[in-house]
Amino acid sequence: MRSTLNVVKTEEGPEMGHYSDPPLLVLASLASGPKHGHAMIDDIVRLCGTRLGPGTLYGAIARLEQQGWIEPLPAEERRQPYRITGEGVRVLRAKLTTLQQFTKAGLKRLEAL
Amino acid sequence: MNPRLAHLLVRLYPRAWRERYGAEFEELLEDGDGGLRTSANVIWSALWERIVPTRGGNMDPDPNSFRAILKHPSAFLPLAMSLTALAMLGLAAIDGVLHGAHGIVREPDEGTVAHLWQLLMTVQMPIVLFFAIKWLRRAPRHTLGILALQAGAWLASCAPVYFLNL
Repeated sequence: MRSTLNVVKTEEGPEMGHYSDPPLLVLASLASGPKHGHAMIDDIVRLCGTRLGPGTLYGAIARLEQQGWIEPLPAEERRQPYRITGEGVRVLRAKLTTLQQFTKAGLKRLEAL
Repeated sequence: MNPRLAHLLVRLYPRAWRERYGAEFEELLEDGDGGLRTSANVIWSALWERIVPTRGGNMDPDPNSFRAILKHPSAFLPLAMSLTALAMLGLAAIDGVLHGAHGIVREPDEGTVAHLWQLLMTVQMPIVLFFAIKWLRRAPRHTLGILALQAGAWLASCAPVYFLNL
């Protein structure tokens, strides 16, 4: 649905090796503590090399907030920090566990090749 | 990004979304690089927000309101098809100018653009008919408004073909 932009280029090329599920990336970023938009973008770049566009980021933030998986903290001037909620942590853990199982199974199949 | 451009881009979002996220989002844009890709990303996201609103989606509980009806595929698809057909003519004209002609280059067998244009303009007819049958009884006033929009877009797309004898 939504794309990411300015993906950090690596030796494999821009299409390889980057995970781009904006809501999951935002949840993963907030798992290390509350952040505002800029900090989230930078943190996600460090986390997986994907640079979310501002529209994509706020699309994810709005949906996550609506689902109750993140919540706003008191604003710092015009910057609005967010933190992950207990429900968000549960969802993130479940998604990452599924991903881990998928990755394990995928890599096992690759080993067999 | 230029604050004026940031403000304009934020204005593309629905009002309910702007009221909640406008200030912080504008600040994020102003502090960002403001490149073409950023603008394209914001425009696309704003358009998507208007189609599938995050906030404000439940603020319009009347399913027969103009906005609610316009969100149905049978309402917006004909509009999109006419505008796509119009855009194709524009692009063909630009392409013609770039290749030394004074507009659209005419091909002996009408060409791909002409066939696509005809397809877009024809296929939308049954969709419009379906829309009119489904909605005219439920919400006649708003449906007539949307039908007028569809007709306007259809005529706008036909106008260059008629007036330029394409």
